[in-house]
Amino acid sequence: MLGYWEKYLEVDLTSRTVTERKLDLSVARKYLGGRGLGAYLYLQYCPDPDVEPLGPENVVIIATGPLTGVPATGSGRLSATTRSPLSRTIMDTNVGGMFGAFLKFSGHDAIVIKGKSESPVGLKVMEDSCELFDAGDAWGMDTEETVEFYKKKFSNPLSVLSIGKGGENKVLYSGVIADGGRNFGRGGLGAVWGSKNLKAIVTRGRKKPEIFDKSRFEEVKYELVKVIKAHPITSKVLPSLGTEGLMKVIDFYGILPTRNFQQGQFEGVDKVKGETLMETIFDRKSACWGCMIACGRMTNTGKEKGEGPEYETTWAMGPNLGIDDLKIIAEAGFHCNRHGLDSVSTGSTIAWAMEATERGVYDFGIRFGEAEKLVQYIDMIASKEGVGELLALGTKRLSERFGGTEFAMHVKGLELPAYDPRGSKGMGVVYTTSNRGACHLRGGYSVGFEELGSPRKIDRFAVAGKGTHVARSQDVGTFYDSAVVCRFNSYAVGMDIWARLLNAVSNTNYTAADLEHIGERVHNLERLINLKLGFSKKDDSLPSRLTREVLKEGPAADQELPLEEMLQEYYEYRGWTTEGVPTDQKIDQLDLRSDVPWL
Amino acid sequence: MAVSNDVLKEFRKIGSALFTTGLNNSHSGNISMRVGNRMFIKRRGAMLGYLEPDDIVEVELYRMDGNLAIASTESRVHASIYINTEALAVVHAHSLATTALSLVRDEIIPIDVEGGYFIKKVPVLDFEYASGSKEMEDILPKYLENYKVAVVRGHGIFSCAATLEEALFYIHSVESSAQMIIYLSSLGVDSKMLEKGSYENW
Repeated sequence: MLGYWEKYLEVDLTSRTVTERKLDLSVARKYLGGRGLGAYLYLQYCPDPDVEPLGPENVVIIATGPLTGVPATGSGRLSATTRSPLSRTIMDTNVGGMFGAFLKFSGHDAIVIKGKSESPVGLKVMEDSCELFDAGDAWGMDTEETVEFYKKKFSNPLSVLSIGKGGENKVLYSGVIADGGRNFGRGGLGAVWGSKNLKAIVTRGRKKPEIFDKSRFEEVKYELVKVIKAHPITSKVLPSLGTEGLMKVIDFYGILPTRNFQQGQFEGVDKVKGETLMETIFDRKSACWGCMIACGRMTNTGKEKGEGPEYETTWAMGPNLGIDDLKIIAEAGFHCNRHGLDSVSTGSTIAWAMEATERGVYDFGIRFGEAEKLVQYIDMIASKEGVGELLALGTKRLSERFGGTEFAMHVKGLELPAYDPRGSKGMGVVYTTSNRGACHLRGGYSVGFEELGSPRKIDRFAVAGKGTHVARSQDVGTFYDSAVVCRFNSYAVGMDIWARLLNAVSNTNYTAADLEHIGERVHNLERLINLKLGFSKKDDSLPSRLTREVLKEGPAADQELPLEEMLQEYYEYRGWTTEGVPTDQKIDQLDLRSDVPWL
Repeated sequence: MAVSNDVLKEFRKIGSALFTTGLNNSHSGNISMRVGNRMFIKRRGAMLGYLEPDDIVEVELYRMDGNLAIASTESRVHASIYINTEALAVVHAHSLATTALSLVRDEIIPIDVEGGYFIKKVPVLDFEYASGSKEMEDILPKYLENYKVAVVRGHGIFSCAATLEEALFYIHSVESSAQMIIYLSSLGVDSKMLEKGSYENW
C-alpha cells in the first residue's frame, strides 16, 4: 500500500454502477500515476480510435499519484485524461485545490468514468460508500453555487469537482472546476462531462497515505523545502505576486502576445502586471493542499470577487485582446470559472473574432480593446446564445468555416497560450509537439531555460540544440504530471530529490534518470495514441502567422522561426522517424509494446 | 565540417571559463553537448581556452563514427553518458583540489552551504585504466544517473546536466567545496566532523 491504495473506481454511467477494481502495482510503478496512469488506463478502456469525444464510449480517467496527499509541498494536485472534443487528441489536464488529496484520503487512487447517464448525475466518493446520486437539482447552477449546494447536502469538509453552463452546453473548450475556483482547464473535459450528464464529483476521507521510511522522508523533505526557499521564483515571485509576476518579464523579452499575436509587447502592461494586481484588487492568497508556495490569488473588484486571475487568464483577457482594465480582466476570469470555461481558449477565440471583425472576415460585433463587451461575450459563449453559439466552437473550427486560418492561433485545435515562440524559439517545438495541442506545459516550457534561466539560461534565439532540450524538458514535465506534483517546484527542485522522496515514500529504487525515463514512456505512449487517432507530422505545425510573419518591433523583432530544422532534431533525439513516428527500437526500449493493443 | 555559430559561441564561453579559472591546464579536459542523436565535442589536443571552429567535432552517439579519429580521447565516455543518462551536456575537468581529494577520499561530501544545496555528495570511482577506457564507459554513467558529478580517482571530475553552463557550475561548486576541505585540513580541522550525516546516504 506504499504510494498507492492499489484500487480504483470504475463508474458506468449507463448502467449506473460503481465497481471497485484492483490497480496492478506493476502498472502503477511503470506509469507512476496521474497522466501516465491515465494514458495507460484510457487505452485499456478505450482502444477504439473511432470513438467520438462527446459520445458515450469516450472515457474519463481521474488519477492521483504516488505522492498525492503526502505532507510534501506540491502534492495536492489531480490529473484527468480523456479524448479532447476540441483537439480530438488524447489529452490530460491537471488541477490544483483540495480534491487530489481528498480523493487519496478516501482510499482510492483513481476513477474511471464511462458511459452516459440518461439524466444529470453526480458521484460521491467516500471511504465507506461510493455511489451515484441524482444531480438534477444542481443542473444549471454555476460552479460556485454547486460547491455550496453540495457542501450543505453532504456536509463539510468536502471537495467538489463540477461543471458549469459551459460543460452542460458542451462548449468545446469548457473545463471542470475544483471547489469553484481551480480549473481542469484545457481541452474540453467539461464538455465530455456534460455529454455524459455528469455534473459533479464530491469526495472526502481521512485515510492518510503510509510512508515507508519516515526518517528518510523527513531528510529528503528538508532538502526539498530548502531549495524551494532558496530559489527566487519559488520563494519570492510566486508567493508574493502569484504567476502574474511573470507578466513584466515576458513583456520585457518581447514575447507577450498582444492583439492575437500581432505584437510582442503590450503598451498597457503596467496596468495589468502582477505588481499592479497586488496594489489594487488583491484580497488574499490561496494555496492548494499542503503547498508552501501559495501562488493563488483571491481578488475583489468591488463588484465581484473570486479566484484569480493568474498569468494566463490575465494575458488571454488582457494583452491578447488589447484590454488593460484589470478589474474587467479579473471579472472575465471569475465568469470563466463560474461557467467552467478554459480562460485561455475563451480569450484566444475572442481574440480571433476581434481580428476577423476588424479584417472584415466576419462581423462578430467585437473589436480589440472593447473591454465593456467582454464579460457579456463570455456569458454568451457559456450559454451558446447569439454569437456565443459560434464562438463556442473555438478558433480552428471558426477559421475553417469563415476564413482567417492564417491568424487562427492554434495547434491541433488547441489555442496557443501566452508566449510568442518567435522570440523564444524552443516554444515553437513546444507547441507543435505537445500531445494535446498548443500547450506551454505539455510541450516542455522552454521559457524556463530560454528566458527565466532555470536551471541555466541558454540563447533564446539559438536553433541548434532546441529540439533536444525541449524533448528532455517534456520528459521532466511528464514525470511531474504523472507523479502529480506541482510543476512550479521544478524551478528549484532537481530530479534527484524527487527520486529520493518517492523511494522514501514507496520503498522503490528509482534513480533520477528512471523518472525521466518514465516521462519519456508516457509521452511516447500518448504520441502512439495520437498517431492511431489519425494525427501525423503535418499536424506538428504552427499557425502561419508565426512562421511567415516576423514581429516588427520590440526585443524579438525580425526573428524568424525555422521550425522544421528544430523539429527534425527533436524527432531524432526522440528516436522517431523523420515523419515523427516512434521506431520499433524506441517502443521496445520504453517497454510499450505489451501495453498498446495494435502493436 | 563547420559548426553553427550558436554551438561555437557556447563552447568558447565554457571552454574559456574552464581554462581561465584554472580548472584545466592548457590542453586538459573536454566538453560536449548533445544535439539529437549526435554530440558536439572538443577536438583531441585542442586548447579549451582558445577554441577555433575546427576544434569542435560532430560525432554520432549510436554508431561508430570516423570522426572519433579527431575527437577527444574521452569521446566514447561522453557518448555513453548521453546514451545511458538524461544528460544533454558533459564537462570534464582536471580540477586540482577535487582531484587531490579524490586520492584520499572514497566520496566527497561538501561542507559548505552551496555544496549542500546543489551537490550533496560526490562519488569517487576507481578504474584500472582511468582515461577513455571501456570500463569508464560502462560504469561512469551508472553513477551519473543519480548524481550530478562523479570523480575518477586521480584523474578528474565529470559533470552532466541539461546545459554546458549548468555542468560547468557543478564542477566549480565541487572544486570550491574541495578547496574548503583542504584549507580546513591545513588548519588542523577534520572536515568530516562538519559533514551533514544524511548526505552519506544521498
